[in-house]
Amino acid sequence: MSEKFSPALRIGDLNDFIAPSQACIVSLKGLKTNTTKPDKPEVSIASKQVQSEPVKISLKDCLACSGCVTSAETVMLENQSLDEFLSNINKGKTVIVSLSPQSRASLAVHFGISPLQVFKKLTGFFKSLGVKAVFDTSCSRDLTLVESCNEFITRYKESQPADDHGSSKSSLPMIASACPGWICYAEKQLGSFALPYISKVKSPQQTIGAVIKHRLYQDMGLRQDEIYHVTVMPCYDKKLEASRDDFTFQLESHGRQQNEARSIAEVDSVLTTGEVLELIQLKQVEFKSLEEFPLDRLLTNISEEGYLYGVRGSSGGYAETIFRHAAKTLFGRQIDVPLNYRNIRNSDFQEVTLEVEGKTVLKFALCYGFRNLQNVVRKLKIGKCDYQFLEIMACPSGCLNGGGQIKLKPGQSPKDLSQLLETVYMDNVLVAEPFENPIVKSLYDKWLEQPGSEKARRHLHTEYHPVEKSITSLLHNW
Amino acid sequence: MESFEGNIELREIQRLEGHTDRVWSLAWNPATGHAGIPLSFASCSGDKTVRIWEQNLTSGLWNCKAVLEETHTRTVRSCAWSPSGKLLATASFDATTAIWENVGGDFDCVSTLEGHENEVKGVSWNASGSLLATCGRDKSVWIWEVQPGNEFECVSVLQGHTQDVKMVQWHPTVDILFSCSYDNNVKVWADEGDSDDWQCVQTLGEPNNGHTSTVWALSFNARGDKMVTCSDDLTLKVWETDNTVMQSGDGFAPWRHVCSLSGYHDRTIFSVHWSREGIIASGAADDAIRLFVESNENSADGSRYKLLLKKEKAHDMDVNSVQWSPGEKRLLASASDDGTIKVWELVSPSQC
Repeated sequence: MSEKFSPALRIGDLNDFIAPSQACIVSLKGLKTNTTKPDKPEVSIASKQVQSEPVKISLKDCLACSGCVTSAETVMLENQSLDEFLSNINKGKTVIVSLSPQSRASLAVHFGISPLQVFKKLTGFFKSLGVKAVFDTSCSRDLTLVESCNEFITRYKESQPADDHGSSKSSLPMIASACPGWICYAEKQLGSFALPYISKVKSPQQTIGAVIKHRLYQDMGLRQDEIYHVTVMPCYDKKLEASRDDFTFQLESHGRQQNEARSIAEVDSVLTTGEVLELIQLKQVEFKSLEEFPLDRLLTNISEEGYLYGVRGSSGGYAETIFRHAAKTLFGRQIDVPLNYRNIRNSDFQEVTLEVEGKTVLKFALCYGFRNLQNVVRKLKIGKCDYQFLEIMACPSGCLNGGGQIKLKPGQSPKDLSQLLETVYMDNVLVAEPFENPIVKSLYDKWLEQPGSEKARRHLHTEYHPVEKSITSLLHNW
Repeated sequence: MESFEGNIELREIQRLEGHTDRVWSLAWNPATGHAGIPLSFASCSGDKTVRIWEQNLTSGLWNCKAVLEETHTRTVRSCAWSPSGKLLATASFDATTAIWENVGGDFDCVSTLEGHENEVKGVSWNASGSLLATCGRDKSVWIWEVQPGNEFECVSVLQGHTQDVKMVQWHPTVDILFSCSYDNNVKVWADEGDSDDWQCVQTLGEPNNGHTSTVWALSFNARGDKMVTCSDDLTLKVWETDNTVMQSGDGFAPWRHVCSLSGYHDRTIFSVHWSREGIIASGAADDAIRLFVESNENSADGSRYKLLLKKEKAHDMDVNSVQWSPGEKRLLASASDDGTIKVWELVSPSQC
């Protein structure tokens, strides 16, 4: 298992005596695996060798299998690589790139320039390669946040004892759904117990995918199937997220191939921040001296005055935004000051509370890293979790420290880098309310109607599926 | 070790039956064997149970006082007493670690620690009883902090080993954790530096004269400045560190290889335990128990340790665990694949 994955996925690599290629059970489904050369010579009978095509294992196979979380860095590199990205540009696909604000910060720290400069230079760089448009996932994140606020209020109301019926047990705590490492861990290792708590709202990556492939293609005068949509993320696990069946849809084709429904992915490929740096180096450009290109404003949080804007919170600001919204909506408390987070045990586990008339009415927590995740899961299991919302992220320090970010420079301490990233992340970025985002407002006005509407749920919400332990994986664990 | 010169004998006191499958491990209750409290130990087995054995003060013989069952659903691989002897932790192939509270001789399961993906293989309490470590087949080492009300919180999940982790053991005085693995390495873990998490501060592996096959167990001498490890590579290895640096808390004092005891074993060594007075006991797949002591003479293999005695056919099958008792007497308990436990006493001929 690659060190690049989040800790939650690394722990899930189950098989200790069997190398990944041996452990992969896709071969047991009647296919032949593409085995690697063994270290020791094996006895083989030449006459009995079967001539068959090596089977390619896709990330979908890995997701559906309980054998291991994924043994498949090679699989990942094949399906979602720089080569694949460049080849799609060359094939004449309309390539759209959506950049995450965490990746922006990582590149800004690396090059010693501002996040806005990174965004503009990167836009120019991608366009010089033939990319059609570069968007910003802090924009789609505002959409995710609006839907999440709405979902929280609904769940909160369900959780309140109504007349004699008592409260709905699995409505709270609500758990943020943006971390694919956590989702994968919950689905594969925790059975079905944690899934009802996880927010149904798609992550910003999948939300921007849905917006582009279900709506924006029209405004841009494109066909859905000609778009190749790539996101740039701080996290390897996002590649797994993009591969989920839940995030593809069938396109009914017209004309000649009448019966053939084509499967379209919201996000075709994910590049990590580190891979984008690799691309910059590969093209031998002097990044800092690149021209600052105008940004594509269609799905980008850039104000009229030219400032980037978004919510506080470098892992997406889920707890922060929902807390403020709930305080206002449920308790009439408008909070205009920064929230007061208290460290519980360590800086990766913080909580924030709202008191009304001496009573704690809201209790939210940020919970980053595998060890803190374990404690929260444990509390949830024994019914002792009194939080109403949990912003769970599998990586220690959250998303700015994702496995796909640019590595430490020699001599740099992880703590120093982490603090630098936190500062640069909000450097010259205006704090803005997602509900006031003009792009979000316009998407609701022209398309989604209102938060939680049937249309919003169809395009911006998703489902989770417990992965049953297969017999073959149990055999491996025997 | 002068007193061990000349004839010395490992005499079988009693053979304890009761487990219906192999006995994997045993642990003496550290709070027994003095102040009139009868000696007691726990044993755990492939029969999914844990048995508590206690010595009768008049007869000197051992009885099974309790059977801890119907909690673990698979093999119980190892067990460890908290320093106070109040809590017993048991690690099982069912992926859980159970915590049992000793209430006047009755044992209640007060907590179950989940988190390991599959088989839990080792468990150890730190010197103060505030931290518990577990390890297992998922290659990880977990550190848990004991909270009031028998609650446990996970403080760290350490992923440094590349294979099955066989055993974890805290240092006897300082909060430094040691783990040994199927990946042939011993790793040393500490909570230091500016990070608020535990990290691997040293790896004792083949490049620094470490083992060349699975490391099964390790044990410290009484002072805590020496450690012995045992392996599938048929050797015992002795390591040492600078005790003054370690005790002063001025950062981590690295461990270095002192010598290897090779040529004594011809099958896998599963267990090793260092007595308070300096006798190293080993239990191996050849059914024998061996005792070693430090010696002034330089032996042929250059080690400063010599074989004191070898007890052939100590058991009918593999010896999985050897543990010296607390208290006055030199008692050794051994656990075997033959399903039995034996209690031995080390006696010199004059006492015979």
